[in-house]
Amino acid sequence: MLTIALSKGRLAEQTIELLEKAGYDCTAAKEKSRKLILEDTKAGLRFIMAKPADVPTYVEYGAADIGVVGKDTLLEEGKQLYEVVDLGFGKCRMCVCGRTELKGNLDAIPNKRVGTKYPNITRKYFEDVKKESVEIIKLNGSVELSPLIGLSEVIVDIVESGRTLKENGLDVLETIADISARVVVNRVSMKMKANEIKPMIESLRTQADLINKKV
Amino acid sequence: MGNNRFYTPDGFTDTVPGICAFKKQSEAKLRRLFELNGYNEIETTGIEYCDIYTSTSFVSEESLYKMQDSKGRLLCARYDGTVPAARFAATIMREEKTPIRLCYIENMYRYSQIGGGKQSEFTQAGVELLGETGSNSDAEVIALAIRSALELGVKDLQVSVGQVELFNGIVRQFNMEESIVQDLKDAIAAKDSVSIDRVAGKLGLSKDEHQTLSLLSESTGTYEVVDLFENRVTDEGASKALKNLREILNILDDYGFLKYVNIDLGLFGSVDYYTGMIFKGFTYEVGFPIISGGRYDKVVNVFGRDLEAVGFSLGLSLAITALMRQGKKCITGVADAIVGYDNKVEGARSAAIALAEKLRASGSIVILDTAEMNESQLDEYADSRRIGASFYINESNADMGGNN
Repeated sequence: MLTIALSKGRLAEQTIELLEKAGYDCTAAKEKSRKLILEDTKAGLRFIMAKPADVPTYVEYGAADIGVVGKDTLLEEGKQLYEVVDLGFGKCRMCVCGRTELKGNLDAIPNKRVGTKYPNITRKYFEDVKKESVEIIKLNGSVELSPLIGLSEVIVDIVESGRTLKENGLDVLETIADISARVVVNRVSMKMKANEIKPMIESLRTQADLINKKV
Repeated sequence: MGNNRFYTPDGFTDTVPGICAFKKQSEAKLRRLFELNGYNEIETTGIEYCDIYTSTSFVSEESLYKMQDSKGRLLCARYDGTVPAARFAATIMREEKTPIRLCYIENMYRYSQIGGGKQSEFTQAGVELLGETGSNSDAEVIALAIRSALELGVKDLQVSVGQVELFNGIVRQFNMEESIVQDLKDAIAAKDSVSIDRVAGKLGLSKDEHQTLSLLSESTGTYEVVDLFENRVTDEGASKALKNLREILNILDDYGFLKYVNIDLGLFGSVDYYTGMIFKGFTYEVGFPIISGGRYDKVVNVFGRDLEAVGFSLGLSLAITALMRQGKKCITGVADAIVGYDNKVEGARSAAIALAEKLRASGSIVILDTAEMNESQLDEYADSRRIGASFYINESNADMGGNN
């Protein structure tokens, strides 16, 4: 039996679709219900529906063998996991954003205040890459508000199309990393359940390659 | 002030009776095993100067439990068994002829680190074989680690063995720049094929060289992995590393332990600590390795004596958690039997004492009732505390000398 932690929402749907294409029976996971654990003993799969930010934790502790989660969450949580497949969907960028007029002038502001849902990524980027100290303000949503209302000078957030930014007079100032959905595996499960996990990784990789080539 | 008096600090738990007894028995088994193999147990101080960890780059400062002595010098709680043992071997045992075999069973203290299932305090049992290089000592330590797990009852065991010098040799062979090596190492360790491909592209490697890097992270097996790489490496250090792995496999085969072993060339450890063979041991039901070991030839040097070293540590708390979740060990009752007696009957007490002693002599854990319970109270008590049997001595059996 393999336990797979899915990130509730669109990412879970896309993952199930891909697993089915790879030949896995995911009837259990498609059941429309509020159940958090969906089990199919015949297929040998158990799905748990978790909040995306918790998926790396479930997998790190071995409560789930496999997880599918965005690279943004992996970077933020910094867990010890095997990161085996880039699924290619859920694509976006982790960026420093701010008012359009700051473009090219970011370094001119001393002691920046940065609003973000990703305090660890933010700290790492400003300390390791830009070699500066910043004041990080942890927010939980609608991060774009913070530079508009004067809570911070810039934000660090994921950018998909950039439309929300534009409509609010903001723009991408710097790109920190490219993001997409990743398959992660617990380090012990990889060894102890290799017979089940390795074929799954292989077929997911094949499916992901097919999709990515089409694009 | 004082509102936390009911609780244990974050990361710390008490050990309840059934588990504590099992843990102590497990410790005794390992202590005996280490002793039988010629490893002398030492106790290092529970508190060290921070310098033993921070003057090297082996441990991140944030994970140490720190305090000060009366002169304001920075101290820390014991973080691991290896560094204190290295200090011990380099200082107290500086005149001893090598090889030196040491072992320890101690509690370790780490801020939110992996190790005890994220516990801050956990027990590790480990050995250090100092002053010897080569495959014989590498294999002895792996074999002893496997034996330790088996001794505890961990039968579903897998041990992955790697060799950090193979990677270092390939880095030289491919002339890689220093700046990219860490990224590549992280990618291989995380089995992150996307990043491996990216780095290979950046380096402009040939298809064959690229494949060598991918194989580092993907290969599993035993001899076939060594064979595979023998055709791919030209660097002298890398070839030596492969020879070392082959010899280790040969020796472990002599122990009959090959079935527990597989090669994983993506094992590097979290810090630049290991200088040769490295290994981790896994079992079901816990998400972290229960065994961690390898060769660290530069650690003792920090303390002023040039001694090579190889060793392992086994996370006892983690292994016990695994056994319980695997259903191989349940929390037992407090005793096998309880003996009570009717105080009003002459000779009942001496019969009860005799019976208790007799049962104890045969290895049973026996409580002699001191609360003067009657027969039904005694049964009820035995029931609620999961005591296997209860014996009550009264006028009907007092003269039987406890032959109940």
